[in-house]
Parts: sequence; structure tokens; C-alpha cells
Amino acid sequence: MYHTRIKTLLTASAVMCSVSAHSAPMGFSESFMAMGDFNNNWRELNMNYATTPRDAFGVGATYMRADDNMKSRTLEEFTYTRLIQRWNLPHAQANLWFQGGIGALQGLDKTLAENHRFDKVMVTPGVQFDYETTRLYFQAAHRLYRATDINHDFTSLRAGFSFYESEYDKTQPWFILEARNMNGLSEKIEVTPMLRLINKNYFVEAGVNNSREPRLNFMYIF
Amino acid sequence: MKKLLLTTVVLSTLMSNIAFATQTIKANVNGMVCAFCAQGIEKKMRALSQTQDVYVNLKQRVVAVELKEGQALSNDQVKSIIKDAGYDVTSIEVTDHTVSHIKAELEAKQESK
Repeated sequence: MYHTRIKTLLTASAVMCSVSAHSAPMGFSESFMAMGDFNNNWRELNMNYATTPRDAFGVGATYMRADDNMKSRTLEEFTYTRLIQRWNLPHAQANLWFQGGIGALQGLDKTLAENHRFDKVMVTPGVQFDYETTRLYFQAAHRLYRATDINHDFTSLRAGFSFYESEYDKTQPWFILEARNMNGLSEKIEVTPMLRLINKNYFVEAGVNNSREPRLNFMYIF
Repeated sequence: MKKLLLTTVVLSTLMSNIAFATQTIKANVNGMVCAFCAQGIEKKMRALSQTQDVYVNLKQRVVAVELKEGQALSNDQVKSIIKDAGYDVTSIEVTDHTVSHIKAELEAKQESK
């Protein structure tokens, strides 16, 4: 009951605040962006190319599994990212993004009697909202992961602050707290406090979640 | 002969002033809050053949592009590059200060706050 309420709240907040696992999910025009997000239950690797300042096309691979390891999914997809709206303020920036993909899902459901394997087509449309100043950060994301008889919708909320402002060419450390859930795979709300390091050349986050599992994220533009 | 010599001296002085005149385009930019996201501005500016140096200051919201001797770049081109990188230019000016000078000036301003 408690978890259901939290899940509902997370989803509602994400949709209301209009929200993903990363900061800006694409680079500047004509750049490539590589992104990775790794822990025990969720491992994701994406790369996209920004054809315009607002559009990026890419490919991604995601491995997700249940807490008890009885279900696992592997998804290879083609992705599209669109900057729907950007608000450039004097000391802040806010963005509304669309992220979506279509690809091949391979699934495995283990039961005592047998291992059921299947292949399906999965679609993954979603939205992300983020707001950032040089000291504060907020992000909410909700993305559907749907295939016939499969619903692994992903919801996340993130908030954090930087320890201090830094120069453009210096590394800036942040504290980020994330709560996220994968429907149909985990009943838990995964909560991860992370240390984020932002430099003009790289973006990395590392932390340990509430199941004492390590987590690592990165982004790189080239 | 004297006239020719004088003309040559005047012309060389003028040419030398032109040759060594620094031109920097300084823009105030809205939305520039993160170095990782703003790297597009620097990379696009540095890719231009006219660019000598680039300076980005997140706190003061300033982008400064110093041009090579004898090279020109319009304010509109700079605005367009910054816009394409995802930001909005609120004001733009051309100054004869170098990027190093602007950097020192802005950093001194920050320290005095």
C-alpha cells in the first residue's frame, strides 16, 4: 500500500512537473553524445547525434531485471530526442524534452516450472523536465516501456545542489538525490544519493542506492 | 624625398596600428548555467577560422570571442552560434580589449563581491 502510494505520487509528480536519468539528453548541434547508466538492475548505454539544436537521433541498449532476478529484459532500440521547449532565464535554464524509441525486446521470465523466453517489439516514449541554476538542480522524467502484455514504465525524480559555484573550466561537485521506479520489475523505490562532477568535457555521477548497490552514470559529448 | 619618407612613416604607423588592433566580441548570455552544457558555445566558436581565443564566464553570463588580426566576424554570426548552442544573447558589443583582459576584469569583479 505504502509503495503503491509512493509510486503513484512519483508518477503524478513526474507528469505534473512534466520528466530521465540524465541532465540534457543531447548535445549541441552536430555533436555526438554518449550516455551510460549502470547498476545491478538497470544497465543502459545510449549514443545520439544532434542533427539540429533541437533534434537528435541515436541507438541504445538497455538491460533491466527484477530485484529477485526472476525476470530480465534486454532492449536494443533506435531513439529520437526532441527539445520541445527551452526557457533561458538570466540565472537559470529550464527544458522540456521528448525522448522516445522503438526496438527489439528479449525477455526471460523464470518460474519454478520453466524458463519462458520471448521476443517483442517495444516502444518507449517519454518526457523530461529539468530546471537548473549554477547551484540548484531539479529533474523529473516519465518514460513508457511498453510491448504487448509488458509495462515497465520508468519514473524518476532528481534534486540536488552544488557545493559551490565554479569557473567554466573547473570541475564542479554536486550532491544529487534520485528516486526512481521500474514498473513490473521492482516494487521498490530505488533511492540513490550521488556525487556528481561536472566539467566542460565530462559529466559523471556515482552513488550507492538504498539496497546498498553501486550506481554509475556518465555523459560525454564529442 | 622628405615627403615620401614622411608618407611611408605615417602609413607604416597606421598599418601597424591596424595590424595589432585587437577586436573582441563580448556577449551577455541568458541560460548559461552549466559548463558541460555550455561547451558547445566554446567548441563552435573555436572552430571558426577567425577566432583567436574564447572565454566563457558562467557567473557573469559572458562569452567573449577574440578575433585574429585582420579577421572579421559579425555580431549576428556570434548571436546565431550562441542561439544554435541553445542560449539567448541579451546584449552584444565589440571591444578592443583582449580575452585575457576581459577575463582578468571579470574575475576581479567577482572577487570584489
